[in-house]
Amino acid sequence: MILLSSLAIPLLGAGLMLGFANAKIATRLALLIGAAEIASLGAIVWQVHIRGVLQEGRYLRADGLSAFFLLSIAFVFGLVLVYSSGYLRHMGEGRFTSARWFYSLVFLFLFTMITVCLSANLGLMWIMMEGTTLASALLVGFYNTEGAVEAGWKYLMVCTVGIAFALFGTIVLYLAAVKDGVKSADALDWLSLMTAAPRMAGDGHLLKLAFVFVIVGYGTKIGFVPMHSWLPDAHTEAPTPISALLSGVLLNCAMYALMRYDAIISHAIGSGFPHALLLIFGVMSMVVAGLLILVQRNLKRLMAYSSVEHMGIIAIGLGVGGPLGLWGALLHTFNHSVAKSLLFFSAGNVRHNLGTLRMDGISGMSRTLPQTSAALVVGSLAIVGLPPFGLFISEFAILSEAFTQARYLVVTLFLITLSVVFGGFAHHLFKLLCGQPVRQPERSRLIPSEYTVMGIAAFCLLLFGARVPYVFRVLLQDAMAVLR
Amino acid sequence: MGLVAIATSKILSSFSVFLFLSILLLAVARRISTNVLLFGVQSAVITAEVFATGFQEKLAEIYVVAAMVFVIKVMLIPRAFFVLTKKLKTVHDVKASTTPTQSVFIVAFLIYLSYAAVQSYGQEVRVPEDGLAAAVALILTGAFLMVSRRKALMQMLGLLVMENGIFLAALLTTFGMPLVIEIGIFFDILVGLLLMGIFTFRIRDTFDHLDVSKLRRLRG
Repeated sequence: MILLSSLAIPLLGAGLMLGFANAKIATRLALLIGAAEIASLGAIVWQVHIRGVLQEGRYLRADGLSAFFLLSIAFVFGLVLVYSSGYLRHMGEGRFTSARWFYSLVFLFLFTMITVCLSANLGLMWIMMEGTTLASALLVGFYNTEGAVEAGWKYLMVCTVGIAFALFGTIVLYLAAVKDGVKSADALDWLSLMTAAPRMAGDGHLLKLAFVFVIVGYGTKIGFVPMHSWLPDAHTEAPTPISALLSGVLLNCAMYALMRYDAIISHAIGSGFPHALLLIFGVMSMVVAGLLILVQRNLKRLMAYSSVEHMGIIAIGLGVGGPLGLWGALLHTFNHSVAKSLLFFSAGNVRHNLGTLRMDGISGMSRTLPQTSAALVVGSLAIVGLPPFGLFISEFAILSEAFTQARYLVVTLFLITLSVVFGGFAHHLFKLLCGQPVRQPERSRLIPSEYTVMGIAAFCLLLFGARVPYVFRVLLQDAMAVLR
Repeated sequence: MGLVAIATSKILSSFSVFLFLSILLLAVARRISTNVLLFGVQSAVITAEVFATGFQEKLAEIYVVAAMVFVIKVMLIPRAFFVLTKKLKTVHDVKASTTPTQSVFIVAFLIYLSYAAVQSYGQEVRVPEDGLAAAVALILTGAFLMVSRRKALMQMLGLLVMENGIFLAALLTTFGMPLVIEIGIFFDILVGLLLMGIFTFRIRDTFDHLDVSKLRRLRG
């Protein structure tokens, strides 16, 4: 029941929102629906922790891994919703660019992402993964400017083609399962596939073929490097709350789907092949994105490439595997979404107040926008992985696992990229913050909705840097137990 | 019943030839409407193949899938494309970046490549090699159409051809996915096309053309 209600709330909410043309009322209603949804997600996480696995019908299931991702979705979504309430006051009243359309699409987007995490069936997961693209394409093109339309079109085409490859991979996996005696009704069910996996060892090259297609397909959605072309455009042109959702939730959802496949294939034919692929894509994404960070001229584009880099880090964590690598990778998905949300929120404020995101047109921000600058600095320090923040812990875990496994090439590239990214962020930040202000901001102080979410995000990063909270340690254990 | 059985075996033995023909014609077709028509014909061939499979394997579920393929891919989508081209008032040329001769050679090469690719898998999964090669060739040709035709509508069509290939591969190797999943995939395709349609209007309204190769503002 509770699984269904967590799907029904955003779906009904999306329909309900369209009935409220008044932006103020729409915003309040959205906050209300959002709160209900977060409560129901919290209840799922709690129930999963107590009872292990929740099953609803044949197609929905929540286990430890879903619970962990649901919690992170709920958290980031909550931040984004509160931030949007202040953000939307700048939005003009176009035919489709109004608060109600915005919230309606956001809830639809949320619905698809939650269903991805609750799918027991890999086919349903694929359908909903494509659904995330469809629900968010209009949000990416929301402003209807030249850039937004181009980014939206590119996003729709690149991701749909990419996801088509994932469908092919899923079919090959299904074929291998049916061939090895799994009933065709169960051959897409993740749990039955996990139990049947040892029997499928004989079909090694079918499984390898499946994983290659799946990693290319879902990798497009994650933003792994040769397939990342949609990501910077979509993140830059989308409204800021959507950039935060794309980066903090959508990429994680795609990573979650990949984890599920990785677990099956690793169970069947050993982790050698899938993890080698994960390492290759991870290192490639990290290094290329790290270098591209240096030459960026747009603040949100910089953040977008940083997302690619961090997805690379997570893939490396999964690729080195081992208890510490997996732990680091999972924790990093959460840490990264919080830090990236904080950064996108600050970037959104910069755009509102200075009217531009081009970094060569901004300087002296520390004087004109002191609070936003502080948030930007905290977020940047966190995202480059400096000690008092959560990302340091997760990156350190991944690195130390790589060290114990003596993967020195990975470690070297990892560390070099981290220092390059640090240099890049420092270089960009100095230019933004110091010097003479070029233009005066609309208002220099933050409004309550903005400083609340930024404060929560910053506090959370510090908290995770000091010590991973008890709740999360338990959830991480549950999540890792599922994948073993 | 004898007639149906004969038709079934004929369809199963010859559908791949028709599919190869359809993609070779897609390579030379210069007008968008011709391309759409060819896609419709291609989908009709696939519908026939789905029916034949259903008849041969005596799987009632597959008839539902066949009906869906027919309604959506043979009737609905081509018609939607015609409406779209009319509403968009765009010129009919697909704006190919390769000449028809080059395209034919490329597609022929892709067919050869598909045969090479499926050789090792064909025997293992006990599927006729021709059919599997046709499926892979459809996927590759779809991708080729997407990169070599500059009209936004042709990219949508390339995607559909690719999807036909994936659908065919699933059908040949596993007699299709479970019905619920199949329906979900069709739903996704429809919504996806609807959105792409919306975006073509937006592209035309903001850029005054439909040439996606000119969408190059966002770089780096």
